[in-house]
Amino acid sequence: MTALRSWEGLLFAVLILIYAVNAWNSPVFLTVGNQINMFQLSVEKIIVALVMTFVIINGEIDLSIASVMGLAACAFGWMVQQGAPAGGAVAIALAIGFLCGAFNALFIVGFGIPSLVVTLATMIAFRGFARVLVEDRGISDFPDWFDALGQKGLIGPVPLAMVLFAVFAVLAYLILQRTAFGRKVYFIGANRAVAEFSGLEVRAVKARIFIASGVISALAGLLFAARVGAVRGDIANGFELDVITMVLLGGVSIFGGTGTMSGTILAILIVLALRNGMALENITGHIQTGVLGILLILSVMVPIIRETGTRLIARVR
Amino acid sequence: MPPVLDMRDISKSFGGTLALSRFSLVLEPGRIHALVGENGAGKSTLIKTMTGIYQPDSGEILVDGQPVTFPGTAAAQRAGIAAIYQEPMVFPDLSVAENIFISHQNRPRLINWSKLNDEAAAMIARLGVSLDPIRAAAELTLAEQQTVEIARAISLNARILIMDEPSASLSDHEVKRLFGIARSLRDQGVAVLYISHRLEEIFALADTVTVMRDGKHISTKPVAEVTQASMIAEMVGRDMAGRFAREPSKNTGVTLLKVSNLAKTGTFRDVSFTVNKGEIVCFSGLVGARRTDVGLALFGVAPADAGTVEIAGQPVTITSPNQAQSLGIAYVSEDRRKLGLALTEGISANITLPMLGKYAGAFGWLDRMRELADAQAFRQQLNIRAANLTVPVGTLSGGNQQKVMLAKWLNTRPRLLIVDEPTRGIDVGAKAEVHQILRTLAAEGVAIIIISSDLPEVLSLADRILVMREGRIVGEFAGDTATDESVMRLAVAAPDTVTGVA
Repeated sequence: MTALRSWEGLLFAVLILIYAVNAWNSPVFLTVGNQINMFQLSVEKIIVALVMTFVIINGEIDLSIASVMGLAACAFGWMVQQGAPAGGAVAIALAIGFLCGAFNALFIVGFGIPSLVVTLATMIAFRGFARVLVEDRGISDFPDWFDALGQKGLIGPVPLAMVLFAVFAVLAYLILQRTAFGRKVYFIGANRAVAEFSGLEVRAVKARIFIASGVISALAGLLFAARVGAVRGDIANGFELDVITMVLLGGVSIFGGTGTMSGTILAILIVLALRNGMALENITGHIQTGVLGILLILSVMVPIIRETGTRLIARVR
Repeated sequence: MPPVLDMRDISKSFGGTLALSRFSLVLEPGRIHALVGENGAGKSTLIKTMTGIYQPDSGEILVDGQPVTFPGTAAAQRAGIAAIYQEPMVFPDLSVAENIFISHQNRPRLINWSKLNDEAAAMIARLGVSLDPIRAAAELTLAEQQTVEIARAISLNARILIMDEPSASLSDHEVKRLFGIARSLRDQGVAVLYISHRLEEIFALADTVTVMRDGKHISTKPVAEVTQASMIAEMVGRDMAGRFAREPSKNTGVTLLKVSNLAKTGTFRDVSFTVNKGEIVCFSGLVGARRTDVGLALFGVAPADAGTVEIAGQPVTITSPNQAQSLGIAYVSEDRRKLGLALTEGISANITLPMLGKYAGAFGWLDRMRELADAQAFRQQLNIRAANLTVPVGTLSGGNQQKVMLAKWLNTRPRLLIVDEPTRGIDVGAKAEVHQILRTLAAEGVAIIIISSDLPEVLSLADRILVMREGRIVGEFAGDTATDESVMRLAVAAPDTVTGVA
């Protein structure tokens, strides 16, 4: 517990440092416009990162999230193009997200196939469906209200997606850290056999998480479509790695059982501020990505270095 | 002939527990040396010390009269020491020949398959058996896999072969074949250390027998000079002062659990017994007697295939831990790390886990104050020593972890408490505390089943003792009249010499 708290403390210190450096480098950084822009550019990923935190603490992985985002967005675009009302298309796109999650859950929970394998397969399959629906052309004739949701402010200058992120972040924090469900997520991830032995409904918990992952990913896909005002077959391609990076950087163990929602949220802020700061310095996207990769390796190494250090000290004594 | 291995005054402790205490053993080439002792006598630690897995705290090991140290298993292997175990370690997808030569690092890079197979066949022939070297290990029987393991050891010029319970999973016919292999190795000058719970095997096979108890060397004698009775007496003999005092039974005479002809294919059969409210029934027996499997069946983890279970007169079919819990059954596992506790989680969270519903309000919101209050009550009642109730249980001592596990299941308010090895690996003080907790529960009317390999514990706690061997209940004793020797004799006896309940 102490180690976790200090990990979050470390993340918080790093975040303050990045904010300070960015503010010192660029007068624009701290302006409301830039801060909103900073969130806006990655808002879909960070919403999905919240639910990914549940998935990984539970000892699983969901690689299909970006493909679900793509499939939901493309299905929406295709339906609108066929003349369906946009409101109904939104509902159906969310239902598709539900079905994608349920499909993953069926194989992972029902047949006991590792989630790494199942969601690797569905990552490819869902993306395939998205490309079949939209092919290589873009679809962009959405109703104005839909585009406005993605591009205009909902509360003052703050757009819908950011409001949703804030609400979801609070909900995710409360569910994970304060409810019986959250407690089950931790114990199942920490030791599945103990959880089963204690009478926990392990399969139901896992199924719910994968379904939630599907629905939230579909929602994120729709928000993405609204923000850019268009969909294409390759929309959100590769996002799963960015999302997983944020969660791991937040101190969630890839083996499950440890990590916190506040860690993930801090890591999200760090990644966003770092990318934004580098963009303001005109550092290219590819270098930004490289820096994030190094950061991830460091974040995994720090606990190991610390543990080795403690053990060495213990041995000397 | 000079001894090939000479272990002198070897000591090894873990935490505060002395697993080996100035233990000495001499192995001579061309002899089969048997090693016997109760569960927990230190046999496993001894083997691990001989094979370089553990390093002794003190004492010396001489090979061919030269002092040696084994910093790791490779060093022991170079010195010619090899071990095979009850469960053979083979690579299932590799052939017999590949398995035999897997550890040979200085073979040519290019493999001459026909030569490799010929050499493997020759190696197996040395053991006096035949086996096709190109068969995949996965297709072999357990006994044949063992043969492959032995051949691998011999191919590495092992001069000392440790066989740890090699016969435990074998049929009579396969045991005879194994004996043949052991004898042909002996005749080729290999020193064999043979460990078995089946005492009759020792008379059939060994030249010399060493008895160990509580990590100490008790005796080494030629087999011709010992009897089963004398071996058992030496295996269990303890200072009477070390025994825990008995207390009057709290048995109410009201039956809570009635099990009839419970069976699980390949595991246990014909298991019938009753437990009354307030009664403590102990299952005694050796490791592998399938006592834990009976407990897991009653808890619904690995349900039985046949037989009936009645709780308070109601017939029940238990198929999941969840259901067992709702029937008022709690199971404290022997395996704290794998099945008992989530070590990275806090004390109170572990305690309340099976009863989360009790603490959850609207939307599943947890009443953490109530969790902490209940955990605090157990902390005082069971004397759990911890800085606070949110520290990860992995940071506690074994005894305190054991108490957290008890608290976790007592919190479910069970009518029937099954406790598997309640005091394994915990110190004497914590042990006495756990015993007192179990007695108090019995006084409150809880029916208690204790599965324990610790005979003094069984003799001090049990109202009744059921002895299991090879998946069956082979006898029953009243707790106050049983002795170490009577229980042990039943637990180790060969099937055809048993006259008790079958």
